[in-house]
Amino acid sequence: MGGIVTSYLTLAAILFSIGLYGALTKKNAIIVLISIELMLNAVNLNLIAFSKWGINPSIHGQIFSLFTIVVAAAEVAVGIAILIALYRNKATTNVTEMDTLKR
Amino acid sequence: MWQNFAQFWSSGENIAFFILSVVIISGAVLMLSFTKVVHMVTSLAFTFLGLAGLYVLLHAEFVAFVQVLVYAGAVTILMIFGIMLTRHDVDQEETSDRRLHHGLTLLGVLGFFGIMFYAIQQARFPLPDHSATITDNTAAIGERLFQLHVIPFELVSVLLTVAFIGAIIVAKREED
Amino acid sequence: MDAVYSQYAWLIPLFPLLAFVILVSMGRHMKTLGAYTSIIAVAISFVLSILLFAERMSGDVNDYAWNGFTWVAGGEFTLTMGFEINNLNALMLLVVTLVSLLVNIYSKEYMRDDERINVFYAYVSLFTFSMLALVMSENLLQLYIFWELVGVCSFLLIGFWYYKPEAKAAAKKAFIVTRIGDVGLFIAILLLFWYVPNHALDFSSIHNAVETNQIPAGVLTLIALLIFIGAIGKSGQFPLHTWLPDAMEGPTPISALIHAATMVAAGVYLVARTYDVFTPEALTVVAWVGAFTAIFAATIAVAQNDLKRVLAYSTISQLGYMMMAMGIGTAAAYAAGMFHLFTHAFFKALLFLGAGSVIHAIQKQDIREMGGLGKTMKVTMWTFAIGTLALAGLVPFSGFWSKDAILTEAYDHHPALFVVGLIAAFFTAFYMARLFFLVFAGEKRSEYKAQENNGWMTVPLVILAVLAVVSGFVHMPNLPWLGEWLTGASMADHTSWLVIVLSNIVAIAGLLLGWTMYGKKPVAEDPLSAGVPQLYRLLNRKYYIDEIYHALFVVPLRAIGHVLQLIDSYIVAGAVNLVSGTVLLVGKGGRRAQNGQVQTYGLITLLGFIAFVVLIVGRRYFHVG
Repeated sequence: MGGIVTSYLTLAAILFSIGLYGALTKKNAIIVLISIELMLNAVNLNLIAFSKWGINPSIHGQIFSLFTIVVAAAEVAVGIAILIALYRNKATTNVTEMDTLKR
Repeated sequence: MWQNFAQFWSSGENIAFFILSVVIISGAVLMLSFTKVVHMVTSLAFTFLGLAGLYVLLHAEFVAFVQVLVYAGAVTILMIFGIMLTRHDVDQEETSDRRLHHGLTLLGVLGFFGIMFYAIQQARFPLPDHSATITDNTAAIGERLFQLHVIPFELVSVLLTVAFIGAIIVAKREED
Repeated sequence: MDAVYSQYAWLIPLFPLLAFVILVSMGRHMKTLGAYTSIIAVAISFVLSILLFAERMSGDVNDYAWNGFTWVAGGEFTLTMGFEINNLNALMLLVVTLVSLLVNIYSKEYMRDDERINVFYAYVSLFTFSMLALVMSENLLQLYIFWELVGVCSFLLIGFWYYKPEAKAAAKKAFIVTRIGDVGLFIAILLLFWYVPNHALDFSSIHNAVETNQIPAGVLTLIALLIFIGAIGKSGQFPLHTWLPDAMEGPTPISALIHAATMVAAGVYLVARTYDVFTPEALTVVAWVGAFTAIFAATIAVAQNDLKRVLAYSTISQLGYMMMAMGIGTAAAYAAGMFHLFTHAFFKALLFLGAGSVIHAIQKQDIREMGGLGKTMKVTMWTFAIGTLALAGLVPFSGFWSKDAILTEAYDHHPALFVVGLIAAFFTAFYMARLFFLVFAGEKRSEYKAQENNGWMTVPLVILAVLAVVSGFVHMPNLPWLGEWLTGASMADHTSWLVIVLSNIVAIAGLLLGWTMYGKKPVAEDPLSAGVPQLYRLLNRKYYIDEIYHALFVVPLRAIGHVLQLIDSYIVAGAVNLVSGTVLLVGKGGRRAQNGQVQTYGLITLLGFIAFVVLIVGRRYFHVG
């Protein structure tokens, strides 16, 4: 087997899958956003695991994950802003009622 | 197998990994199963903290610190503010359409996980020939960030600024 | 001598067709004018037929055939359409136009109160057209087309009062039963098409092919029998006779025109027209089927109580006579058969129109409820009496001469057929006497007010009565003019006093028996049913033929139909529904997927991604591509 990194990768896969499920099924837009954050975290975990246990361990993985965290933070900020704007117009955070793509 | 098992438990690092992953997964699963939004966000905070613990385990102390600051701190708080600014009726009526959607999603996610798991199990990850010898991770990161990755770093700061200004404009009341 | 009128003979069917077109397109607005349109058209045809007939009669006129219209030209063979005039069909044209004209006039009064009278006249015109075209047809396929067309007209007219369930059922039955015969005729045409050189179907080519022995004898017999099956269906011979009595549900003038004088005689005409292909074996079958039908139907007629059904069975019986004559196989017998067709057309039309006159006057059809009508309906009674005597075959009425001609030939060549014919003649005389006395003699047996109909109805009766008396004189045993004219062979003096005396004795005996049983004293109950109830019931139920057919054909066919229906509704319709359902389901799924929610799109993307990965990566493991 592939050593210790396999455990981290499997954990990341589980986290990613849970995040994916949440993003695709939850009605509340905030939870959907959080689920996406969860998926991003799973990716970060992969990066850092490889930076320690990969074939060529280096600090680059950590730097990469820092960038990811920054972008994720920006995404959350914009996401929440859009959500509040939407809520102001539609009086709901239920994503099943947000079907403007149909029209 | 039992030998492997015993070997696994003999290492303190592995025990820590096991406990932290239990915390992470249960936090994520509870996020899915709670009905109140605040509970969900709170449970996810545990997941974020658990992840930070794992980062420490992986000798990425700086990233762990950032994780705690940004995720467990800023993002979670932001989410809670978002929750407070909007209204949340817990309506549990499930239409057949919705049930089908859930079923299909579960199927898809399980399939996805199956593929990922299979790929991970199949892949060979030989142990690194030289273990990471860097002791001061934070200093190393700082050096790399301001030498090799300085342009991306600056671009990310611009992105962050633009995003926050944009968020303010979007969230602002139009009549103001 | 050149044929002059023959060249214009195509005009004869044209006028009824014209009338049909006019009536169909404008009948709705024509009111009483519709009847006149049809009558005038047929009158013109009749005049032309007389001219044609006179020309044919005047001496040795060449047969005229025109087949200038090429219908189908394919490879080796061409299919033409045209017409042919010879003595046989000139005679038929005259009979058809005359009866049709009289029926047209008669219907003017009979159908007076029917609001669909113009539709009726349209159908009658179409029928007259098709029948005339059938008679004039130059090839067998053309004949077949018009043969079916008269069948359609028959169907339409039997079911004319379609709001009566019996009429609807009768029309259906007539159509289906005759169709069984038509299949035989069609197969015969196909066989002829196969065997006759150049795939010709015109009568002269068939004649030549038979003359030069180009068709194997066995096949020829088969063809003849198949054609005869067609004739059986159309002429109501046993075993396909069941439709004809039921066809009496149609208006009575139609019974006179189609189901007594013309269309049902088309079967006999078909045999006469294709006489060349009838081998001796086939002719024997024709003769015995005819003879059996003659006696079979005559016995049934004895126990029927519906005025028109008695006459219908009588028609079947007389058509059997004609078939029997055809089957004897000599030229004289052939002539006798056609002669009987000729006289029968008149006296049977007369009887039907007389019956129609009675029905029109009292609105009843059951002869047990009639009686004493002779007192008020003098013209009807006397003309009906003439028809009765003619049908019974009494000197000097027309029926006597034609029946005598047949019986003489049978006596000379087939004594057994002669005996059967004689017995049938006895029954004929008996049931006609029964009918006549029950209707016209004695006291009335139910409440009604009878009064004579007006001239529109009585004049045709009188004309037909005159013809029923005199039309026999064209072919007498010692002066067989019609036979010689028809066949072209000279015929010796065939006078057989024995046959003449015997047939008269039988006729008189039948009439007398009928009179003693039904005419002498008023009868409350039918003496026949009182005396021999079992026999009476058997005859009254028509030997249970309908019931046998029902059990033998209708029930199994219906069972098969049910099975097929099940297959249709479950398997065929199931497959169709599966296809449409699948498409619908896909469409519904597609519509549901396009609900504008990002989560659904995300789900589909995820599923697509997985499918993609499985296809691309899994290929390595499954060895698919």
